[in-house]
Amino acid sequence: MDATAAVACEGVTREYGGGRAGPLGRGPSRPTVTALADVSFAAARGEVVGVAGPSGSGKSTLLHLLAALDTPTAGRVVLDGTETTALSSRERARLRLDAVGVVFQRFHLLSALSARANVAVPLVERGVPRPERRERAESLLADLGLGDRTAHVPGTLSGGERQRVAIARALVTDPAVVVADEPTGELDTATGERVLDLLAETAADRAVVLASHDEQALARTDRVVRLRDGRRVSDGTVDDDG
Amino acid sequence: MGERLALVAFALRRTWGGLRGPRARRLALAVGGVAVAVALVTTVTGVAVGLAAGSTVQADGVDYWVVPAGGDLTTVAVATEGPRLGDTHGLTARLRTDPRVDYATPVLLQVAPVETGTPDERTYVLFVGAVVPEDATPRVAGLPTAPLAPGDPHYADGGYDGPWTGGLVASPAAADLLGVEPGDRVRPAGASPDRSFRVTAVAGEAPATAVGSTPVALVHLSELQSATGAADGDTADQLLVATNDPSVRADLTGLYPRTEVVTRQGLSGAEASTTSLPVAMGLAAFVVAVVVGALFTATTMGLEVTRERRALATLSALGFRERSLVVVVATETLALCLLGGVAGVAAGLVGVAATNAVATSLGLPAVAAVRPALVPLGVGTAALIGLVAVPYPVWLSRRPSTSGVLGG
Repeated sequence: MDATAAVACEGVTREYGGGRAGPLGRGPSRPTVTALADVSFAAARGEVVGVAGPSGSGKSTLLHLLAALDTPTAGRVVLDGTETTALSSRERARLRLDAVGVVFQRFHLLSALSARANVAVPLVERGVPRPERRERAESLLADLGLGDRTAHVPGTLSGGERQRVAIARALVTDPAVVVADEPTGELDTATGERVLDLLAETAADRAVVLASHDEQALARTDRVVRLRDGRRVSDGTVDDDG
Repeated sequence: MGERLALVAFALRRTWGGLRGPRARRLALAVGGVAVAVALVTTVTGVAVGLAAGSTVQADGVDYWVVPAGGDLTTVAVATEGPRLGDTHGLTARLRTDPRVDYATPVLLQVAPVETGTPDERTYVLFVGAVVPEDATPRVAGLPTAPLAPGDPHYADGGYDGPWTGGLVASPAAADLLGVEPGDRVRPAGASPDRSFRVTAVAGEAPATAVGSTPVALVHLSELQSATGAADGDTADQLLVATNDPSVRADLTGLYPRTEVVTRQGLSGAEASTTSLPVAMGLAAFVVAVVVGALFTATTMGLEVTRERRALATLSALGFRERSLVVVVATETLALCLLGGVAGVAAGLVGVAATNAVATSLGLPAVAAVRPALVPLGVGTAALIGLVAVPYPVWLSRRPSTSGVLGG
């Protein structure tokens, strides 16, 4: 495994199910589903790595493992120098807070909060004082062209604006890795291009891992890891695949 | 600590935003459920307080009643020939010198015939005799003492030869029955003409005590004793003592042999009531409100957490620890309960007023009473509902895995 990578995994397998059904665990055996099988991956700071594959290929599972949202059934995941496999739930949460920014396809902004408050959410958990939270959130939103939308709630923002708020939220803790799951999936082409530009800009001093179906989006990455049926089938540039 | 406060503030902001946003209807339902439960407990407790107060002679401010053993406050009010207390003026004077005592007064209750002016026609009125405090104007038997001269001038240190004030405060029922208004004379049957009373005031509303619509006349104690032949031994039926110091009770206990010190405690004056019905009503309403409110809150907040599982999973993905999510969910639940508590207290007070309006429209005296303590009771009930309910939404919030909810 590349020890210098911002995030890496080695021989990672993730299985779901198994065991027996029923409240007492005495029901029929449940089938085991292998979402990811023996996958290795690494992304260095300054690198934008795409993860491609059809639905059910294991893209989101890999992203969740890399973001310490989940732990593998087998193999190792190292995030910002820390192996996640042996960490407690609390320790993984702390690692996520410090080392990972997550961008979702459907934004997952908190509908009751303003754009500014949404961006500042991770800083609440960090215990950052309110004036500082506000300042950092406003600064990031201004950098992303949303300086005049800080007080708006998500329901009053366009899809592109919402995704930019989500990107600002992912960056507010200055993480080593940004994980983006289909970040342009809900956006029109032009807006998607803008979001991809922003993600590429953020990769200057961190790793960006981007899962997508969209070949145009993948063409903007430095490297693409392709998955099929939970297995890695290639790792190279889009041109290499072509 | 600051981190925890920031989380609480975050949860409150999220709740407030939710109440104004797409979650408004669902959150309002949770608030409404608690409000209904708290309104129930407020209204029923108001009625219980009214009933408890109604079984005593004094409506407000009195903390202790010294009554003959075996007597009870209800029977004292309607059957006046039971055991009585003696030397009551002297004892009251001593009690008033105690700095812990706000005021004290003996009370004599005497049903007496009154001449109406028509030959051979008499009507009966419940006379209440009291010593009017110098520096307070409490209501005795629900009637104001303010229109009477302070103290008890006719007593004259036991000589019963002081000036006869003849002041009398009539309840509306007494004024109606006797056909009198301020300035008119009232003479107990058999009393000499110089021992008659003059109506100084008619109370504006019926006494909120057990005497209810009974015709009642409040006079000075010594004048009632003189007019009814109770001056020998300076007797009275009970002693009312107002104080904020619970240690007074111990001193009262030793005042008379074979007497009981009855206490108004907290809201309901439970011990002052000779029946456990008001207490039972208040307790039953409290238990029902907490159980029903907690079940309703747990269910609605459980549904809300289930609907919000994606938002909670997002917080988890952003690095919130499980403990932080617990703080967020618990704060939201408690905040909504407290909001429901405030709304419920307001609704409960309206309920008390409505209950009294219905009673009045039926020709009955007001049955429910409003006390400031109903506010903390209602809000406290709401807080308890929240505390009992909160484990369920918290448990639900910890069930699904973040990865599972966000689509691993």
